[in-house]
Amino acid sequence: MSTAMNFGTKSFKPRPPDKGAFPLDHFGECSAFKERFMECLRNSDYESSACRQHAKAYLQCRMERRQLMANEPLEKLGFKDLTDDTSEAKSEK
Amino acid sequence: VVPGETALAFYKAKNPTDKPIIGISTYNVIPFEAGQYFNKIQCFCFEEQRLNPQEEVDMPVFFYIDPEFAEDPKMAKVNLITLSYTFFEAKEGQKLPLPGYQ
Repeated sequence: MSTAMNFGTKSFKPRPPDKGAFPLDHFGECSAFKERFMECLRNSDYESSACRQHAKAYLQCRMERRQLMANEPLEKLGFKDLTDDTSEAKSEK
Repeated sequence: VVPGETALAFYKAKNPTDKPIIGISTYNVIPFEAGQYFNKIQCFCFEEQRLNPQEEVDMPVFFYIDPEFAEDPKMAKVNLITLSYTFFEAKEGQKLPLPGYQ
């Protein structure tokens, strides 16, 4: 598909993912969360920032079913600002 | 996608045959120079994945673009980065001991 003409520059070395591979969600346990995320993207012109709550919810779904994702604190996954918001909302109530 | 912000993307794969297929995928980033800024936190790649006959699954990729991308003058004109995956068949129908699956 791509024929990168490398003029002597460093070659593209695929790197493995930092936290390893996602096991497949064979039973679609988190499909509902994925659908909500995709719907959010469609509604926000595919702007990723607008749908981070949904992305977070999807990953939380995976973590709750331990075979689908190892438990990680949400801050380490780049959702620190969203976790602060939820705790603020809780204290306002 | 904002450099430095984690993002989620989904691909979908289907096995249209009547036999289970074990596949393994590798990825490519276009433009080539943007590849060094593409960081995968977690994805479905590099490990063999089994798809049962007629099975269709969502394949997520959780990633971020290195914030240094925004500082690189060579990337100034890059508005679109395309991530593509190619699946290769590992061994058709072979039963693999997949950790975590019972």
